[in-house]
Amino acid sequence: MTAYIIRRFLHLIPTFLGATFLAFLVIQLAPGDFITRLELDPSYDRAQIENFRRLFGLDQPFTVQYAKWLSGFLKGYLGLSLSYQTDVWQVLKPRILNSMVLVISSIVFVYVVSIPIGIYSALRQYSWGDRFWTTFAFFGLAVPNFFFALLMLYFALWLKDTFGHEIFPIGGMRSLYVDGVDFFEAPKWRQWLDVMWHAVLPVIVAGTAGTAGLMRVMRTQMLETKMQDYVRTARAKGLSERVVIYKHILRNAVIPIIASIGFLLPELFGGAGFVEVVMAWPGLTPLILDAIFSIDVYIIMGSISISVVLLMIGNLLSDLLLAWVDPRIRYS
Amino acid sequence: MKKPIWILAVLALGALVLAQPKVFKAPNPSESPAYGGDFRDVSTSDPKTFNPFVAKETSSSDVISLFLPWLTDYNPYTGEPEGLLVKSWEIKNNGLTIVFHLREGAVWSDGKPITADDVIFSAKVHADPDVGSNSIKSFEIDGSPIVWSKIDDYTVQADFPKPFAPALIQGWSIVPKHVFEKAYAEGTVTEMWDVGTDPAQIVSGGPFILDQFVQGERVVLKKNPNFWGVDEKGNPLPYLDRYIFTIVPDINAALAKFLAGELDLYGARDADQVAQIIDRIDSGKLDATIFPNADVTTSTNFVFFNWNNEDTWKAELFRNKKFRQAMAHLMDKESMIELALGGLGQPQWSPISIPAKAFFTDDVAKFEYDPAKAAQMLAEIGFRNKNAQGVLVDASGRALEFRLATNQGNNVREKIAQLFAEDAKKIGVNVKYAPIAFNELVRQILNTRDFDAILIGLTGGREPAFGRNVWELDGPLHMWNYGPDFESFEILIDKLMKQGATTLEQSKRREIYVRFQQVVAENLPLTYTVAPAYNPARLNKIGGLFPKEQINSLEGQYPYNYPVTVFIKK
Repeated sequence: MTAYIIRRFLHLIPTFLGATFLAFLVIQLAPGDFITRLELDPSYDRAQIENFRRLFGLDQPFTVQYAKWLSGFLKGYLGLSLSYQTDVWQVLKPRILNSMVLVISSIVFVYVVSIPIGIYSALRQYSWGDRFWTTFAFFGLAVPNFFFALLMLYFALWLKDTFGHEIFPIGGMRSLYVDGVDFFEAPKWRQWLDVMWHAVLPVIVAGTAGTAGLMRVMRTQMLETKMQDYVRTARAKGLSERVVIYKHILRNAVIPIIASIGFLLPELFGGAGFVEVVMAWPGLTPLILDAIFSIDVYIIMGSISISVVLLMIGNLLSDLLLAWVDPRIRYS
Repeated sequence: MKKPIWILAVLALGALVLAQPKVFKAPNPSESPAYGGDFRDVSTSDPKTFNPFVAKETSSSDVISLFLPWLTDYNPYTGEPEGLLVKSWEIKNNGLTIVFHLREGAVWSDGKPITADDVIFSAKVHADPDVGSNSIKSFEIDGSPIVWSKIDDYTVQADFPKPFAPALIQGWSIVPKHVFEKAYAEGTVTEMWDVGTDPAQIVSGGPFILDQFVQGERVVLKKNPNFWGVDEKGNPLPYLDRYIFTIVPDINAALAKFLAGELDLYGARDADQVAQIIDRIDSGKLDATIFPNADVTTSTNFVFFNWNNEDTWKAELFRNKKFRQAMAHLMDKESMIELALGGLGQPQWSPISIPAKAFFTDDVAKFEYDPAKAAQMLAEIGFRNKNAQGVLVDASGRALEFRLATNQGNNVREKIAQLFAEDAKKIGVNVKYAPIAFNELVRQILNTRDFDAILIGLTGGREPAFGRNVWELDGPLHMWNYGPDFESFEILIDKLMKQGATTLEQSKRREIYVRFQQVVAENLPLTYTVAPAYNPARLNKIGGLFPKEQINSLEGQYPYNYPVTVFIKK
């Protein structure tokens, strides 16, 4: 097992190099660079534009730029952001932490909601309840995240009109004032409460698609396991229905779901998606979008490389988890 | 009106400390301002830095200009140059030398005086090509440097390589030398004041002091008690306690916040947003005012053709004035306003921004929407018959068709381009419209030159001389024609631009730029389409804003670059 883990770790190196090189290449293939937007500003001369390119190192061949970036990365330095002129990690860190609030809450939300519903739907297949949740799942998968977020904003506005005060905040992550004092001077628990209050609607938006998907997976898994011979055997042995469902069906049905937990790792550091933009949540997504628009190469690369590393570790973790929950799988 | 004693005390103290305060004129003298309160504004993206030598876009520079002073700016009421940190100036040597006298008694928020040393140091750093400040453009004219020197502690002198009309506008940030000097000497000046810097370390010489910055969320500035500005009654400014920018990347979300009364100002983008605000005001849920179509913005949308086209047939066609005028006759500006701008906007005929009243003229040739006239003009230049596909052909049988591109994702431009292409098709001009990515568009314009026609815009402003890179023959943005063959009208435009930039007398300058607009409108190197409306909205509890008749999109809702006249009504 140890040898297997070491081997997997060694595999990570070429994968990482390939993935980041490709990402760097793709960014370079897109026309334009960080300075392009200044080129259509009538107040700059050509010489000034070229000077900016020189200062930012954008006049060098891209292999040189990549090599520089990589050597920095190996020393634990993600590079200097072009627009912020500061360490990329310093820019990414607070955004990742903010996003984590949403991501962790929505993952909990997804699992807590979808697994029981999936079990219910499978055990009462084609009942009215099952049909209702199926419809809900299709809605959840079909509605675009950004549009749902906008609906939620107007829902919050409507609540405010109806009740005369804010039931849910209209976007943002922190209030300006908490109990009449500046947010950052309020007690820590009040600050957290305020953040969680802001998180309710975004979490619903961010979690809906995931819930819908996982619910369907869980249902299918349960249905499939229900048909297995060992389930019939268990029933034939005269085991109670409760034991059959929870010990024989459920435990086998959740195996792939547990195995997929490893994949959540990169998600934790990947931002919660468009809901952050629409609901003004100061997460990673608006930052990355900004960086893509302005072609701030090192912010984009910083985020991609973190995701790549975590994806690879998550992948490994999933395989190990699988071996742990499923006695049929062994690595040697 | 009775004033509390402490205000009088502060006043007396202020008069004592600050011998030469700057008087900021309120837009509406009948209002009686009150002190205190938060002013809540919105921004679509984070400031990227608080260092003026690093700032590359407005989300950063807008915040920086609240705490780092400028020498001069335009007077918000007359549009003429006006001193900020500068008290007065003398023009010498036929306009080649300007001596600026600084306000004595102005201090940084850490107590040190703001002196000529700070100004000269800041100028030196901005002008240093190895620093990469965006303001470097304010320190060169056609590649020759403007030389700044110190005369005494409160006097500086600028020497210009040639007479320069906008010489009195010196809008670049002045930094405290004692804070930046060491970093500059060590070559690390661009590492100063990044977004991770503790706000308490950031020194202010403007009306506000940075108080809090939460990345992606908000910027909070508090009033600078040492600010060198007063109102007309001599009361210290600003009135506000805090100025808060909330960062909301999505414009619909920002609208929702304004509708909920959580923002004090808002600029509605289109007719739909205007309608939502009006609805809410009418239903009594929002105590606010909106001025739809109060002005137009300075952003422009124009079509231009590639005179350097590799296809000589096309190059010759695009060079033909009659062809361009025929194309202008195909632009249905009313429909463009209706469909692309949601009903709010104005047609534009010439290059100077409509709000730049000091130079703008409406007295130019207008090629109004008239497809019949367009068809007739095309017939005059040889396109008399149509082929089997219904496209006009010339005597040699070549069909009248060209590609038109605009930047993808800009809904307004995409719709304008579609409308033009449809109208052109009706009389047999085959316009093949396709949107492409902005950076690719820039590459085609500046490098590869493999386009036929492009619809794009440049942000205009108050000062036409800053457009020289577009209009002078060797300008890098002389986008339709990079030579070497120039038409006589292009040479005339080049001459007018050079004259305009070097003439100092305002009435003569206006004459020059009026002529310039007429020449452009007649010859259409760029064919202007429509300019979007400026629809400002505000909560009624905010005072010190421009009344309706004074609103102009160059200034925004309040005079000066910062809300010094703004107050919260009691």
